[in-house]
Amino acid sequence: MTVEELKQYDGRNNAKAYVAYKNVVYDVTQSPLWQQGEHQGAHNAGIDLTSELLGAPHGEEVFKKFPVVGTLEEASQKKEEHSSSELLKTHLRLLYKKYHPHPMTVHFPIALHLFAAGFDILFLAEKKDAYAIGVFYSFLVATVMGFVAMVPGMLSWWINYNLSTHYAFVVKLIVAAITLVLGVIGIGIYLENPNIVYDYSFLGVTYHAIVLLTGLNVIILGYYGGKISWGNLGEEKMQTVSFDTNETDVMMAEGKFHDVDYEAPIGFSTPTSSVKAELSAKHGVEETHHVSISILIGGAAGLGIDTLEKILSDAFKESGYYVFSTKEFMSRVRGGSNTTLLRVADFPLQAPCWEVDVAIALDALALEHMKHRYKKDTVIFGDESFNEKGSDMIAVEMKESAKKFGDARYANTYMAGLLFGVLKMDKTALMQSIEHHFKGEGANKDVAESGYETGTDIAIPSLPQLPRLDNDAIKKLHLMDGTTACGFGFLAGGCNMITAYPMSPSTGVLNFMASMSKEFDIALEQSEDEIASLMMTLGGWYGGARAMTSTSGGGFALMGEALSLSGMTETPAVIYLAQRPGPATGLPTRSEQGDLNLALYSGHGPFPRVVLAPGSLEECIDCGYLAFELADRYQIPVIVLSDQYLADSIFMIADVDFSAYEEHRYIAKSTKEYERYADAHSGISPRAVPGLGEGLICAVGDEHDERGQITEDYEMREQMVSKRARKAALLTQEALAPTCKGKGEIAVIGWGSSKGAIAEALERLDDKRLSHVHFAWVHPLSPEQLSVLDGYKYKIVVENNADAAFADQLKLHDIHVDDKILQSNGFSFFADQLTNMIEKSLKELS
Amino acid sequence: MSHLFDRENVDVAWCPGCGNFGILKLIKEVLEELQVEKNNTVIVSGIGQAAKTPYYVDTNMFGVLHGRALPAATGIKMANPQLNVVAEGGDGDMYGEGGNHFIHTVRRNVNIVHVVHNNMVYGLTKGQASPTSQKGFETKVQVNGVTNEPFNPLAVALSLRAGFVSRVSIANAEHAKEVLKAAFLHHGYALVDIFQPCVTFNKTNTYHWFRDNTYALEDSYDSSDFNAALGKAFEMMPMPLGVIYQNKNSGATLEENIRKSGEPLYRTSHDLGKIQELFESY
Ligand SMILES: Cc1ncc(C[n+]2csc(CCOP(=O)(O)OP(=O)(O)O)c2C)c(N)n1
Ligand code: SF4
Ligand SMILES: [Mg+2]
Repeated sequence: MTVEELKQYDGRNNAKAYVAYKNVVYDVTQSPLWQQGEHQGAHNAGIDLTSELLGAPHGEEVFKKFPVVGTLEEASQKKEEHSSSELLKTHLRLLYKKYHPHPMTVHFPIALHLFAAGFDILFLAEKKDAYAIGVFYSFLVATVMGFVAMVPGMLSWWINYNLSTHYAFVVKLIVAAITLVLGVIGIGIYLENPNIVYDYSFLGVTYHAIVLLTGLNVIILGYYGGKISWGNLGEEKMQTVSFDTNETDVMMAEGKFHDVDYEAPIGFSTPTSSVKAELSAKHGVEETHHVSISILIGGAAGLGIDTLEKILSDAFKESGYYVFSTKEFMSRVRGGSNTTLLRVADFPLQAPCWEVDVAIALDALALEHMKHRYKKDTVIFGDESFNEKGSDMIAVEMKESAKKFGDARYANTYMAGLLFGVLKMDKTALMQSIEHHFKGEGANKDVAESGYETGTDIAIPSLPQLPRLDNDAIKKLHLMDGTTACGFGFLAGGCNMITAYPMSPSTGVLNFMASMSKEFDIALEQSEDEIASLMMTLGGWYGGARAMTSTSGGGFALMGEALSLSGMTETPAVIYLAQRPGPATGLPTRSEQGDLNLALYSGHGPFPRVVLAPGSLEECIDCGYLAFELADRYQIPVIVLSDQYLADSIFMIADVDFSAYEEHRYIAKSTKEYERYADAHSGISPRAVPGLGEGLICAVGDEHDERGQITEDYEMREQMVSKRARKAALLTQEALAPTCKGKGEIAVIGWGSSKGAIAEALERLDDKRLSHVHFAWVHPLSPEQLSVLDGYKYKIVVENNADAAFADQLKLHDIHVDDKILQSNGFSFFADQLTNMIEKSLKELS
Repeated sequence: MSHLFDRENVDVAWCPGCGNFGILKLIKEVLEELQVEKNNTVIVSGIGQAAKTPYYVDTNMFGVLHGRALPAATGIKMANPQLNVVAEGGDGDMYGEGGNHFIHTVRRNVNIVHVVHNNMVYGLTKGQASPTSQKGFETKVQVNGVTNEPFNPLAVALSLRAGFVSRVSIANAEHAKEVLKAAFLHHGYALVDIFQPCVTFNKTNTYHWFRDNTYALEDSYDSSDFNAALGKAFEMMPMPLGVIYQNKNSGATLEENIRKSGEPLYRTSHDLGKIQELFESY
């Protein structure tokens, strides 16, 4: 860059502000000290400041913080010259450091003002001319020197103290300004009429008052100057912000957060009641025909299957149908072969099915991938170019039509239209959905229209006929995936901090919380690893946050030691653990309930914990909320177990009344005598946070005494072990009871995400002998609640894993399990397949 | 010097003559002289001999796991930016087990003081090599002497653009105190690596050795010069002591970056009405 070019960057009128120093061009646009390209009214941007810097109170170090944008060409020719001036500058800076000009100059006005004031007192006592003249001249010189001292003083304030607004500086500035103004006035009065000093007129009195007052002022100035320089009070004090604990008291009184009576009887009001009603036929017409249609859309990643899923599910919902969708995809960003299953029905749907009524192939590979899921009358649509000779595929002009409208990517919208046409649906809802998703962009609506026209001409009598529903109640339902519902649960639980490392299938929750972080003032940081995730979360709780982390099995395994720390230090933690099949990296994008044992046993040494496993959107919200309330109240880690299937599947949910999710803060205000691990009857010691109250909070991972001091005293050890164990006992009493549906004597028992599939399988079987028992609270199990199971003659446990970990838990509680239905192929249960499996199991039992 | 920050009734677990005593004294003096409010201050430490320090200082403390003080300290700052937070531990704790956290805490510019007692050995586990052990240092495990390149915390911190990078020696306590004070006053992440003789397990790097192999940086040394600092970080035998590098405007800290308000999270709560509204938009 040349000097001429540099001139354009003067920072004015929104131009960038560049300055050059020693051949290097720096961008100072962002600096508050270079507003409008001007620096301290002394320097302008757009020029070479090398020589000007010689006179500046700071050295070249100030440029280090600015981004370098180039070099100054002409400057290089003056290299010689600069190096000598550079030497001079360094020299000056050292001198500046050595003989600080402010203290050097400031002592004169201080001394002279004091001198003047002293002499004035003498004069007032004994009116001698010599005194009066002495007073005036010392006052005059003091005032002049005052201006001299003020300049390096201001510079020092700027270079050494960063224009600090600490009160010491503010007082100094104000007093100095007053002193200077008074000085000028005093000099004026005297020069106007020197005899005024003998006169007790207004001006005479003012003159003496000024002289005496400035004497006082310099004492104040000296005092604060001293404080700043040698300062126990000035800059050298840690900038501790004092807490307005009064404000906190008010908040406590208002119930914003609670100083909790930990000895109070337990019992959570389980918020499930806030879900106005579980999805049931109530939301539809009373008599449903129980017609459903399942549509499988297949294609490579990047072909817009997700868009198609969204457009269609919204469109079917707005047409007044129940919808459900789920996806299975390969662990790759592009290519491969993925499918999305969309089910539409006149009754509530909560699970996928394996066999499909309609298959839509967006590419040829999808035909191969989907064929296992065809039944004999599955209707298959694909592009004419897929060239499936001899197959049952109905060839349509998908690609041609998309191209006709100018973009091959329109293929998915074309197929959406086609499907609506084939199903003889009213197209209004589809058009609205397309409008909504694409915001009117491109030719999407026209493409869909053309697909629709083609579709209406295709008649397929074998397809299930959806009754015309147009049910307004259904239109009011909300469509979301398990990730989002968990996210809402965590929000309702007051989550205000999240630290996590991305890992499928848990990342959705991190994304959700990030998307909410501005709105809800959530502290969020992506950690360097999962150990850090949980350690930050624990630090967060220790510091007073409601913090959580999200991860999957591999990451959770890394958290083991920190989980144990949560147990020992009794620091709450909420961990969202979205399972995928292991061991190791396993099947990164697929589903399994394989980490129950990991959740139950990870971390060394026994300590109480809670494991929750939601099986529906309603339970996702409840568990998310409960996790925070439980963690806070019991000072324990709470793990919310989800999995890829639940996280990524889209269900419907009725209105939820969030006002029922009242947030309780179990934070005590500490007194001077506060002890973090005070032995309490309940085992729960009041948890205080640093800065709130007068006490000190000592939380430790070594075994400790009540103060939180390391101990190896065996009696204290026993006392603490017992304290922690008492919390575990209380937790059992908090357990949410399993939900039991049906009156049959054979219990089909499941936990977590299998809820919907089991429910539908039992509906399909329509066998009076069967009941569905579902656990969303999987640990610690309450023996009292488990006794319900004694009432069943046979117990079949259904688990989406190979180790039957939950059945083992039941066995630990002496519950006999008659049969286990297990699946660990990477898919969650399909309602139709599960129906067959249960049927088979029933045959074996009888 | 009063005993404002002395913790009562503690059983100090260090060997007589250990450098940790000097560091403990230093910490307490600095806290007192800077008039730090004890209930607004937290010392977070990991595990090791050095990490026991906060048990003897009368402030808030969070004693965590070996290597994990830094992420815990980060979490505390995220939860309540108004607290003064110190992360303290040994060379094994901070540079070995917690090495990854060290890197990323510097990058985040968390506003904490990071105090590392560098005795070039694992004290608590009785004398194995630490990441900073010098080549040739023989132990029961490193029977042929250490062959790995010693970890250079200063150079690492500098390479990550830490705003405050310093090294001191407890064999020169007065000097160390000034530097530690400056670290407390620095806005942003501040590293203080303290040479600390372990009289029991490190017979090589003794008080004498540290005195003979270090020198205090001259007054004329310009600590704002990044390139000079890089040079100093690699200077060996003698090794420089002092503020190797300080950038007084090291930019926004993590806490300032992640949330607009610095309000302690213990007293923020969500507006359920807003959650309701958002939920209904689905
Ligand atoms: C996860 C884990 N691994 C190992 C240990 C054992 N351990 C405790 S302290 C320590 C090293 C101590 O060295 P350093 O951090 O330098 O502290 P010093 O004792 O020297 O002050 C080790 C290996 C542990 N506590 N936790
Ligand atoms: S083992 Fe070393 S570091 Fe630990 S107390 Fe003894 S002398 Fe100090
Ligand atoms: Mg060590």
